Parts: sequence; C-alpha cells; structure tokens
Amino acid sequence: MVVTWRAAALMGLGVVPVLLLPANGTVLVWATFVVLVCVADVVLAASPRRVAVQRRVPASVRLRSEATSELVVRNASGRRLRAVVRDAWGPSAGAGPGRGRSDRVRPASGGPGRHHVDLPDGEAARLPTVLVPTRRGDRAAGGVTVRSLGPLGLAGRQVTLPVPGRLRVLPEFASRKHLPSRLARLREMDGRAAVQIRGEGTEFDSLREYVVGDDVRSIDWRATARRREVVVRTWRPERDRRVLIVLDTGRTAAARVGAADSTGAPRLDASIEAALLLSALAGHAGDRVELVAFDRTVRARVAGAAGPRLMPALAESLATVDPVLLETDWPGVVAQVRTRMTQRALVVLLTTLDPAAVENGLLPVVDQLARDHTVVVASVADEEVAALRAGRETVADVYDAAAAARGDLERTAVTTMLRRYGADVVEALPDDLAPRLADEYLALKAAGRL
Amino acid sequence: MTTQLPSPYAPAPPAPTPPSATPVAATGPVDEPPVVIGDDTTGRSRAASRWRRMRWPLTVLAAVALFVLFLAVVRTPTSAEPNAPDNPEPDGAMAVAEVLKDQGVRITHVTSVADAVAAAGPDSTLLVTPNPSFFADDQVSALNRTGADLVVLNPDYSMVAGVSRDKLDITYGERPDPVEPQCDDPAAQAAGAVTLAPGLYDASAAGDNVRPVLCWPDGAGAFAYARLDFPDRSVTVVSDPAVLRNGTVLDEGNSALALWMLGQNEDLVWLVPDPMDITTGSDEPTPAERGQVNAVMPPGSAPVALVALLAAVLLALWRVRRMGPLVVEDLPVLVRSAEATRGRARLYRAARARGHAAAGLRAASADRIASRLGLARSSDANTVVDAVVAATNRPSQQVADLLYGPPPADDAALAELVRRLDTLESEVHRP
Repeated sequence: MVVTWRAAALMGLGVVPVLLLPANGTVLVWATFVVLVCVADVVLAASPRRVAVQRRVPASVRLRSEATSELVVRNASGRRLRAVVRDAWGPSAGAGPGRGRSDRVRPASGGPGRHHVDLPDGEAARLPTVLVPTRRGDRAAGGVTVRSLGPLGLAGRQVTLPVPGRLRVLPEFASRKHLPSRLARLREMDGRAAVQIRGEGTEFDSLREYVVGDDVRSIDWRATARRREVVVRTWRPERDRRVLIVLDTGRTAAARVGAADSTGAPRLDASIEAALLLSALAGHAGDRVELVAFDRTVRARVAGAAGPRLMPALAESLATVDPVLLETDWPGVVAQVRTRMTQRALVVLLTTLDPAAVENGLLPVVDQLARDHTVVVASVADEEVAALRAGRETVADVYDAAAAARGDLERTAVTTMLRRYGADVVEALPDDLAPRLADEYLALKAAGRL
Repeated sequence: MTTQLPSPYAPAPPAPTPPSATPVAATGPVDEPPVVIGDDTTGRSRAASRWRRMRWPLTVLAAVALFVLFLAVVRTPTSAEPNAPDNPEPDGAMAVAEVLKDQGVRITHVTSVADAVAAAGPDSTLLVTPNPSFFADDQVSALNRTGADLVVLNPDYSMVAGVSRDKLDITYGERPDPVEPQCDDPAAQAAGAVTLAPGLYDASAAGDNVRPVLCWPDGAGAFAYARLDFPDRSVTVVSDPAVLRNGTVLDEGNSALALWMLGQNEDLVWLVPDPMDITTGSDEPTPAERGQVNAVMPPGSAPVALVALLAAVLLALWRVRRMGPLVVEDLPVLVRSAEATRGRARLYRAARARGHAAAGLRAASADRIASRLGLARSSDANTVVDAVVAATNRPSQQVADLLYGPPPADDAALAELVRRLDTLESEVHRP
C-alpha cells in the first residue's frame, strides 16, 4: 500500500470545510473520507502481481559504453494499469533515467530506471533504460518494482518482482588506440625482412633469386648449385611463437593507482589493458597467445583461442577477474608456466614492482623461469607517487618526496636484480604500460629473441 | 591499408564481411529471458510472513507496555519539584504532607496563583513555598485577598512587605546553633529549640494595632519566625524552608512547628509557584494567563492545524515509501597505492629522520645525474663528483657537500638542501 502526494493534497483541501464548520468533528469526518477514498483507490488499482515482466539485457557490453536494459511489461490484470515501474540496477551499472516515450510510456522522476506506464488490459509496452557501466565484471540487476496506482492516483499497491538480469561488463580495452601504430611497425618488420636484413627474423621463409644488395651470407649454396643461378634464403620474423601472459591478481593488484584527486583504478585494470593490447598485437603477428590470471589459484585461463576468437575469449574471461587480498604464490606461477609451456616462450608477468613483495615472492623464482623462457616483468607505476616525488612546497612535501625517492631507489634495486636474473622489466604509468609493453614485444621480436 | 581503429574484441577478419554480421560492443540476448508474473506469494502467505517478522517486536512492545501499566498502577505519582507535597526527595515535603493528610487535613496542590486564589478561602491555610523567581505586586495582593491564613516560607522583599503590610522586613543572618524561641507564640513554644536561618526583623511602628510576634532571634536583631494576627486572618513567615523539607523536618522542633503552622485549618492550599506563572486569579483572566494558545488564535485554527498535521503525515508516508529495495553491490577495496609512500613520509617526519630523508633524496639525485652523465650505476662517489664538477664548473667541495655531505640539522636545512639539489640537477646536461 502506498499513497501519493495527491492524497496529502486531498487531505489539505479539508481546510475548506473546516473553515466553514470549525470543529474537530469536521476534521474527523474529512479524514475518514480521505481514508475511504484512498482505500477505494487501492481496491480499484490493477494488481501488480498480475503483470508479466520480462527483462531483456544484452549478454555483455564494454566498460563505459552504452547498453540498453529493456523491460517488457504486459498487463494481465484485467484492469487498466497505471503504474510507475522501476528497473533496478546497482550503482556501478550506471543506469540512466527511463528512455521510452510514447502515449503509453514516459520517463518518471525520482531516480534512474523509472517509467510511468499507462496500459489497457492485455497490452504490453517496452521500457528501455540505458546503462553505462562504470565497473568491470558481472553487474546483477535488482528486482522490478511495480507501483500500481488507482484510477484517482491517490494510492496504490506496490510489489517488487524478482526478475533476473545480468550484464557482463567487459574490459574497456582503451589501449586499442595504440594498436594501429604497432601493427604498422609489425608490417614494417615483415617488409624489412623481405629485403633481407639479417637478424630481423630467424625463421626460414622461402628461396628467391639474388638481387644486388642482398647479404651474401644468406646465399643458399645448395640451392644455387641446383638452379644455376644465385639463390638466397629469405627470412621472416618468427611465427607461431608462444606468448604466455600471467596476470597477477594478488593483493598488490588491488591497490588503486591514479592522480591524487581521483579515486583511481585498481592496478589490475591497467594490467588487463596491457594484456589485451599485447594479445591483440601478438595475435596479429601470428603468435599463439595464452593467458593465466593467478594469485594462489587460477582465476582465469585462456588457451587455444586464435584468430578472431582470441580477443572475445580474453575479454570474456578477464571481465570477471577481480583482485584477491592474498599474497601471490610465485612458486605456483612457475609450476603453471612449466605445465603450460614445454618449449621456449615469451612469459609476460603483469605484476607490481613492490620491493618487499618482489624480494619475498618473485625474485627467488624468476631465474627458474628465465632459464627456460624469455621473461618480461611489467609493472604499473603510480601517478600519485610521481607527483609526490616532485613535491617541494612545504616540509611535509619534502618528506613525501624523500619517501618517494627512497621507494624509487628500492624499486631500481629490485629491477636491477631482476635484470641480472635475465628478466626484462617494463614499468610505466597506467596509461603508458600497454604501449610500452607492446613496444617491448616488438623489440624482442625484432631481435629474434622470442 | 587504412588506419581506422580495429573492432575492440574482434580483430578485422581477413575477408570483408557484411557490416551486420558481428555485433561487437553489445551482443544480443542469447536465450529468451523468463517472463515473471507475481512474486509467488498470496495474501495469506504475506500475512503469515508479516506476522512471523513482527511477532517478536510486538511481544517485546506488549511486555514493555504491560510493565509500564503495572508501574503506573502500583506506584504513587511523585515529582522532583522542591518543596512539593508529592516529592519524596530530601528537598521535597512529602513527609509533612502525608502526616497532615493522616490528621485529616485536605491538601490542594497548586502551581499557579490563580489556582491558589480559587482554592483558598477564609477557613483555609495557604502555604506559599519559596518562589524561584519574583511574584509580581498584583500577584502578592491577590494572595493577600483570599482571606486564608497565610504561611510564607523564605519570601523576598516585596513578598514579605506585601503579606505583612510593611510590618516585617528582610535581613540576613547566620544559621545559629539551636536556640530557644524566646517568645510566647504557641507554635514556637511547642517546637522549642530549632536551628533555622534567621532573616526577619520587626519593621512596625510602636503605635500599630497589629504588631508581629518574632521568635528565634540570633542576637543581632534578626529572627527566624514571625507571626501577625490580623483581625480576619493570620500571616506566618518563616525565613528558612528547612522547616518543611523531608531532609530536615525531623531536626529538633521543625516537625512540630510545621504541623502547627499548616494544621490550623482543615483545608490546606499548597502553592509551589511555577517561575513562568503570571496569573493573578482576578475575575477576567486574559487568554495568555489561562495559558491557552487557541485563545489568541483566530477561531477554527485548531482544526485547521489538525488538518495540516494529517496532510503532513500523508506527505511523510508518500516520501518514506521507497520504490523497491536498494540493490546491493560488492564494492572493491579502496586502498591507494601511494598510501605506503605517504605513510613512510609521515614516519620520517614524525621521527625527524632528516638524515634518512636527505640520504634518499641525495641518492636519487646522484642516480639521475649519473645516468644523465653516462656513468655506471656502480660508480663511486669520487667519480660522480668529478663528473659533476666537469659538467657544471662548480667547486668540487660544494658538489661533494651537496651530494654526500652531512645530514641537515633541521627541516629548513632539509628544504634548502632539496632546492640546491634540484638546481644542481638542472645544471647538469649530457656531456
């Protein structure tokens, strides 16, 4: 049972008879009248429990892009349905006001996802609500609340129907803007391989006739002997190399990075962006990409997807990966890599160069990895720490800068140790990490180290 | 090859496909979602669940109500008002009132002059307990006009002058050791020695037909008790309310004096004045005196206010009903990565670890300068200083002091050091 402002207004109109007949009895009579009218309105309202509701939600949407949750409301009550319908979503789903506008439907005020509905018996209407999700992962919808008002609009009945709904929010992949330039570099490497600069690739491609300018060291003497003309071998960058991206989802991935005046985003989000760009690039380059999200157990795994199936598979499995407040089990990571990769591969560890965590976790095991594989450690730096480092205004700022400088030195020491064990290290601010990692990949490929 | 952005999660397929082939950003619903009608409840099940939810709160509420009812029936009402006949505390007067009641005196407890004037008559006693504020003159004269015998405790100047018709006045006296009454008033004789603060003296002229009887002097001309026998009534003034109070009524002769004074007549009007009281009990009380709001408002305003209240209740009911429950959502942790750095800075500052802070800043500067000058990270201090001297033409001692000198003495020195390090760093360019 609900009342509306109209009931209060009707009660307020009681001032007129009370002024004509100033007595407490008049108030009692008027109040009884108002209550009776409201009860009659409730009785005459369409039953909200006899409204068929269906919620149509797209299966998935990219972070910060629009999706439409659509309610299909069919009036099966036998009466005319005048109602406010709320399509409830959690705050991170970013629901906007109701959008449908017709003679049956119009947006209602009071909050996101609310619609005025005026439906004759047996008819149906669609109530669209635009969602712009602000957080990755599965966003579950709440119920659908139907507040059915009586013919006078004074009072009505309200019920919340348990209508299921779920929207999977995929990573934004904002770093895809860097992909065209990196693909161009990749093609350039292919092209340079065609004019025979040794070292650009190590994989045999084909034989062709010698032209002036080719490296004489690439002349294939055996083929030349058979063909009676000078034949050179051509090389191209390796294809079908294996790339394993390990995403650290331990406690350090939960810390937020970003400018001091923003809420920032978890480190993991920047790592995911970098993983996606690297995967897209490596997929284009013809390498086989695998991904494992790991803290103490495997949180997500993508293997065996190639070509156009790779990126959707990555996005789908990374959508629901959240940081876990546990210390990462680095020996477990090594075991994972060992079971996945039997031959030499590029292993990219997307983690944090937190000196204490690295000394206890990654450092003791990185040489085991680097012995068998090319290892790249990629870490997300913090913009706020960078700002602290430059602070000079007050004494407190100077101490902040000193602490930041001390942290840098320790990080540099850890980086040096990692390099000594044979791992490459990439550290960059969240927005720069993805392109920097892609560049590192291209450099490794160009050097034939994959 | 064009440079347009590739589709986010579907890399451009090698063969061109029709544009409608792959919806990308938002894929359509896979299965037809279920249609929901109702929430699987009936009126009966809802009533049952409501009862299940409410029965314990209702039980507790009912128990509390029963307990309150029991207390209301069993306990006599008491107050905490000083000198009130229903106050059992040490500053109340319930003891005297109960004894008087047992002796057949009818006590009327009033709090306003108007009520006192209405209740008091020629054959009754009117007790006026000490007033927290002042009585107005017309209130005092209203109390005088009742014809009742007046008993006034600890009055102020205007009160004592009013009730005694200027035959008594107030002074201040020390509370003495018990003294004998030293007068022939029967009440005083019955009470004998008491310890009451004296505060009255005789202000009557020698030729007055009615002169006060004063008892319990303190030797300096102040008395604790005065009685005036006017032709129509008597006026008794006691300068110390201790005579009446529960805490002191049993001391010496206090109880005898109190019972003598208050038990003269069958009716006793007990006025415990309210500081806000301005009534006089005259024939035509103003509406404000009656304390009624609607008397100064236009007629019919009370019902209108009631209507407004009911409308406000309905407005509240409208606003309070939420449009369905809140949707819960698990939120991620909100720990900033820079907190570790900030915490360390605060530790430095709290511990005044200027040496540590300066060492960190110097090492970072030296590291950056060394990498800019192309020195190895493992270079020793002398190498770095020599390279910097060569790059900046600064004196070697100054550079060595800056980069490897003693720790700063205070915060100002630390800030100065940082400034000079920055300057030095800005002067170093790639050779």
